[in-house]
Amino acid sequence: MDIKGYISSGIIESYVLGLASEEEVSILNCIRKNNVEVEQAIAEAEKTLEELADIQAMAMPVSLKEDIWNKLNAENLVASSDPAEGNETESSTIDYNIEQNSGEKSEAVIVPRKSYNWAIAASVLLVLSVGANVLLYQQNNETKDKLTKTSASFDQQQASLATLQDKWRLVQNPEIKTIPLKGVENKPDLHALVFWDQLSKAVYLNLEQMPTAPKGKQYQLWAMVDGKPVNAGVFPLDAKVDGTSKMLDIPKAQAFAITLEDEGGKDVPTLSELYVMGGI
Amino acid sequence: MSPLHNLPEETLILLLKKKNQQAFSYLYDNYSEALYGVVCRIVASSEHAEEVIQDVFVKIWKHVDLFDAEKGRLYTWMISIARNTALDYRKSKAVLNEQKNQPLSNIVNSKEEQDQTQIEQSAKADFIGFRNILDKLKPEWRILIEMAYYEGYTQQEIAEQLDVPLGTVKTRTRAAFLQLQQLLKEYR
Repeated sequence: MDIKGYISSGIIESYVLGLASEEEVSILNCIRKNNVEVEQAIAEAEKTLEELADIQAMAMPVSLKEDIWNKLNAENLVASSDPAEGNETESSTIDYNIEQNSGEKSEAVIVPRKSYNWAIAASVLLVLSVGANVLLYQQNNETKDKLTKTSASFDQQQASLATLQDKWRLVQNPEIKTIPLKGVENKPDLHALVFWDQLSKAVYLNLEQMPTAPKGKQYQLWAMVDGKPVNAGVFPLDAKVDGTSKMLDIPKAQAFAITLEDEGGKDVPTLSELYVMGGI
Repeated sequence: MSPLHNLPEETLILLLKKKNQQAFSYLYDNYSEALYGVVCRIVASSEHAEEVIQDVFVKIWKHVDLFDAEKGRLYTWMISIARNTALDYRKSKAVLNEQKNQPLSNIVNSKEEQDQTQIEQSAKADFIGFRNILDKLKPEWRILIEMAYYEGYTQQEIAEQLDVPLGTVKTRTRAAFLQLQQLLKEYR
């Protein structure tokens, strides 16, 4: 994408003025994540409006501050008053209450012994029951935990089994040619597999051992046809790294290669970003 | 008078989330005049502007928890609340006035004209002498900022009213921003 052209189209100014369409905004949000220049241009435009607001500030009637604070209070939008404030008056009233209470208590102490026994028995039962509940609750939680862990690992294994089965089906098919792509000079550890159906001409790609494409980048497969690279599609960003993806059909080729390109792919391969290749 | 903004925005956000009087005081002392300036230029009568700025503060106070620092700065967010509240107010007022004063057939043609003169007059009456850095912009650029920012026209509407292509409205708006940036730099 031509970023300079994009910025100078005025889209960013439309956006900060709140005038860009929903579609324009979603494109812009996508681009700003991956492009510092755009992000910076947005920040600058916003800053301009902030400075404009600074410079055009106007004095307000003095009474408004109190009016607004009262309004916030009236709408119950204010945190309940700070305990640090107004402590003195409150604590003195509390002290007073305590004194009164203790006076009452001294009279209430004389209570028939019998009712205490009942109370003690009830408390013991309560404690036992609470204890049992806590124990059961903990056990229950442990079981639940184990169950989720087990089912998660089961899901994981199912998924990797499915991936393997996919690959196996391709390898087994007699019509399918498996072409290993090996890492180029400075990337000897990488490799990928191309499965090429000789009948339907369908091409499948598995990134056996390739690093995850960095943000904003995508692997692109090329078929070398009579010395010329032909686009065989980009490896989908949402595909699992160890999964096999169907690429574009290729009727004829002498070799395959993978380059790392900007998201969406290119018409011509960027040779400095060549990762793996392999002949047929 | 230029606000102070002493606190870094992250600190201010934390402070605001406490919702206490200290937070309010800081917010008010540092930002109210700038926000009031935006509101006044949109609603253009001091009596209404006072009503609107109160709403603006209530909204900021209520919604600060929804503010997402990833999407931009707090100040920008507060300005857009001020602007949108004021524009909404302006629209509802315009509708009310029309319903009261005019037969239906007249509304379409005279709406803009009437608004325009009304606002200009009251703006002059109420806020004589407010500094307007926009006056230093090239006139054909200034009108774009004024219509878009303070009057709430869409760029399509602006293109139609000024009879220039939409693409031109957009590139000129950018040019206006760039000149404004320059003016603000000189001013500092």
